Amino acid sequence: MTNRQSTFPKIACAVLAAAFAACKSGPAAPAKVSIGATLPLTGAEARIGGFFKEGYDLAFEEANKRGGLQVGGKKLPVALTLLDDTSTSATAASLADRLVNNDKVDFLLGTYATNLVEAQSTVAEQNKVPYLNGGGAATQIYRRGYKYVFGLLAPVELLGNTLMQWIDLQQKAGKLPKPSKIALVWENTSHGKDFRKGISEFADKSGGAYQIVVDESFELNGKDFSALLGKVKAAKADLFLADAHLPDYIAMHRQYVAAGMCNKLVSYGARGSEKGAIDALGRENVDYVLSAVWWSNQLAAKGGLAKQFVDAFKAKYNKSPEWFQALGYETARILFAAIEQAGSLDREAVRQKLAAMKADSLLPGGTVELPAAFGQQAQNSFVVQQNLPDGTSPIIFPADVATGTGVAPNPRCKG
Amino acid sequence: MQRFLDLAISSVLLAGLYATMAYGLGLIYGVLRVVNLAHGGVIMAGAYLGWLSFSRLGLDPYLSIPLVVAATFAFGVFMYRVLVRHLPRGAAGGPQSLLLLFGVWLVIRNVAYLAFTGDDQAIRTSYSTKSIELMGSFVSVNRVVVFAIALLTPLGLHFLLRRTYMGKAIRAVAQNADSCTLVGVDVERIYALTFGMGTALAGLAGLLSATLFSFNPAFGAGELLKSFVVVVMGGLGSMVGLGVAALILAVIEVYSILVLPAYLTAAVGFVMLVLVLIFRPGGLFGHRVLG
Amino acid sequence: MSGLRRLLPSWAAPAAVAGFAGGVAILALLPAAVELSPYSHNMVTLAFLFVAGAMAWNWMGGYLGQVSFGHAAMFGIGGFVAAQIVLSTSLPPQLAWIVGGIAAGLFALGAHPTLRLRGPYFSIATIGVGEAARLCFTYWEEFTGGSSGLSLPIDAALKYRLYWWALALLAVVVAASYAIRRSSLGLSLLAIKSDVEAAADVGVSATFYQDLIFSLSGAVLGVAGGIYASYFSYIEPGDMFGFDRSISFVLMAVIGGVGTILGPALGAVVFVLLRQFLLASYPQLYLGLYGGLLVFIILFEPLGLTGLALRLARRFGYRARPDLAVTPAAVPAGREEG
Repeated sequence: MTNRQSTFPKIACAVLAAAFAACKSGPAAPAKVSIGATLPLTGAEARIGGFFKEGYDLAFEEANKRGGLQVGGKKLPVALTLLDDTSTSATAASLADRLVNNDKVDFLLGTYATNLVEAQSTVAEQNKVPYLNGGGAATQIYRRGYKYVFGLLAPVELLGNTLMQWIDLQQKAGKLPKPSKIALVWENTSHGKDFRKGISEFADKSGGAYQIVVDESFELNGKDFSALLGKVKAAKADLFLADAHLPDYIAMHRQYVAAGMCNKLVSYGARGSEKGAIDALGRENVDYVLSAVWWSNQLAAKGGLAKQFVDAFKAKYNKSPEWFQALGYETARILFAAIEQAGSLDREAVRQKLAAMKADSLLPGGTVELPAAFGQQAQNSFVVQQNLPDGTSPIIFPADVATGTGVAPNPRCKG
Repeated sequence: MQRFLDLAISSVLLAGLYATMAYGLGLIYGVLRVVNLAHGGVIMAGAYLGWLSFSRLGLDPYLSIPLVVAATFAFGVFMYRVLVRHLPRGAAGGPQSLLLLFGVWLVIRNVAYLAFTGDDQAIRTSYSTKSIELMGSFVSVNRVVVFAIALLTPLGLHFLLRRTYMGKAIRAVAQNADSCTLVGVDVERIYALTFGMGTALAGLAGLLSATLFSFNPAFGAGELLKSFVVVVMGGLGSMVGLGVAALILAVIEVYSILVLPAYLTAAVGFVMLVLVLIFRPGGLFGHRVLG
Repeated sequence: MSGLRRLLPSWAAPAAVAGFAGGVAILALLPAAVELSPYSHNMVTLAFLFVAGAMAWNWMGGYLGQVSFGHAAMFGIGGFVAAQIVLSTSLPPQLAWIVGGIAAGLFALGAHPTLRLRGPYFSIATIGVGEAARLCFTYWEEFTGGSSGLSLPIDAALKYRLYWWALALLAVVVAASYAIRRSSLGLSLLAIKSDVEAAADVGVSATFYQDLIFSLSGAVLGVAGGIYASYFSYIEPGDMFGFDRSISFVLMAVIGGVGTILGPALGAVVFVLLRQFLLASYPQLYLGLYGGLLVFIILFEPLGLTGLALRLARRFGYRARPDLAVTPAAVPAGREEG
């Protein structure tokens, strides 16, 4: 299918370019690098969409402070066209279409939330526009054989897997019973399903060291978890592993505590140490909760790119970043790196550089790659954190980035 | 056995909440023959008002009941005077009243969204996570208080409807509005008051829900449908009927976890709605709701 | 002209037929005549789908008077059936859409018991059916991919041609809308809408006609869902079965003019355009705006935008046919027996 370029707007643009400088210039030398993106700035994911925006903004600001990106022989400023996709997948896809075909952006940065990324990435692939995202973790996105779609978020199966690795260490050290019974509940989204897959695959391969006694999904934004928790309680599990968004985490854990439940170890997937949760639940009720995230600001303790990012972020926003802002920032930064490596704005050239990317990164592990074997999705490790009674939430695993030691089982639970 | 007991206690407590939700819808329908599709929106508004008074005024949610009830009552009267009054009454105006109130619901939702953003909110008091032990079950303090209030509400309503002049007038209008005009009852005023009472009850239900669950502007749709199940099943004209219907709904919902995967228990209320409407539109107590 | 008249059924006015043919021709030739940008081309394709959906909804909500808040169920079923066929067989997508439509129509037939309910009770039941469908289909992973949805292979050439396929669907729906409304079928529906029992007395079987219209309406929504799936190459149950999706059809038809023939088309176009505009400037106002419009329409102008247009036209001396729209206002409202 040929890209039908309207001739009339082109003429109009040439005429108006001097006055408005809003139209993308034609085949003549580009004046800037135009990058398009959508984020859920309103709607269900608005809170996190806002966080990602902070990361994007910081990256673009830094790049432009340096004079822009080195493209071939010239330094070009980099501009972000950001639209609000209202947390709807159809809108995310339609807006991507608009960014590519109307606003004529050179490249696309991704949105947040798996279903939005999955819908939007299709448009990128159809139009052969490199699409780098830090907001969609489901492996499903990257198993379609797409060449133009790249993901910086490691798959959520790895999240479950990393959590189990630490738990396994505790079991081998005799702190947890063998076999350990797991109650596994997960939100019915691809995030939840992947979490469940990670946990159950680890349990299957453990040769009987772990038994899953409850395996149930629940509706996103459900309110009443008492029946589900009743089931978990009746199963008398050792480990309660859940995967939930923040509101469900708060609702479920509150009902968990009110029901007088206590398991040797509790995790809500990527949730645990959020300030919002601590405010809503009370510090003492989230003690010993485990979480595994893509990035933690405590990685800055080891210096390097993580520390640089945290310092720059604090300077600009006066608060500490969480993984959302870090991923947003890093996604933009890696795209910039690919553009500079390619030395041009040619989409195919940049795509190849992204495919071959090997760069230092603030992500755990210190480097980032987008291997084709995994559908061009990064496979960086997660970091496991635990809320401790002294008010900190140190990284307890992997050992090379740990800032504290984890506690198992929960000393407050008797029996 | 303990599990069975846990579920039983859970369903009884939940039934109280459902009954409170249903009274408001039932009252409006019984007297005005209008299905208040904005019911869910008012429940949500009640939740937010409670949250507001808690976070801005520092009032314990249960203490702010009079405040929230008064506010939603006023809102209901306003809604009636400005909007609902113009609708043709009864089945002939059915789709119109439905669509009108649905439109109001959308507006309420959007206002809440603009004012409070779409983030989930919750009321966290010092006793939010406390529980008491009841026959071997741990029950959240909030659930018990909500249940107690839910028991008091129909008593209060009963007193209002049977012992006061206004209550008698309301019941008279429900039976035959034309005759009431003949004997000098200001029917329009009664309609406005009743609508206000209906929304006040919805607001109360919303406030009580807010102490138990988190909520956001989209909250209320499920509650509306469950209220409808209770009203249709329990019939009108009987508090006891509504209470029993609420209990049946709660029991089925809660015990369904024994046979259904947890995810699908959320669908139980909706399925019950459809089944009840199709098979027992006369309600379980013979009082025809849909006739 | 008289020759044409003899060919047409008695209820079809030659002027309308000519207008219809002309309209379709213009829309079909539009991309060739005016060089549409790919984005506009795509947006118009989507608009065709929504117009078709709104008009089909109107057969139930406007002609028959049964306001459904659960039409997304048929849209979703059609979409996922079509998607599954595309994914697991080598049948052409057009066939997949048709099968999707048939599946959706069958689902509507399955919902037959709800048709015994009148007015608001039917509407409430449809909310229940819609939400129950959403939850069950989200749970049914093998069919819908669960919350992750289904991804279809990309076919850029097909996506471009979807414009004409959607236009074809729209043309069929417009013709059917006109035919239903003007023929004796429309009269039967009007009879059922006004007074179900009296209609039965004169031999108009509510059961038959309601089932017919419900399944036709559902089938159209199903085909639209299939085309939608091919358009996005990715569908998920939350979007397809969502309550917001159901609401959108209601809003489009009511804002445009429920019960009229072309009203929903106007409403759908306005809906899509407004949404585009609001997305740019006030993303989260559109629900409240439509709610407000709904309130305004019910109170002041039951025929929505069509009604407003007619009022304007009356200034210029144009008088519409008295049976232009089937609304409760056109029907003498009996006093309700308490």
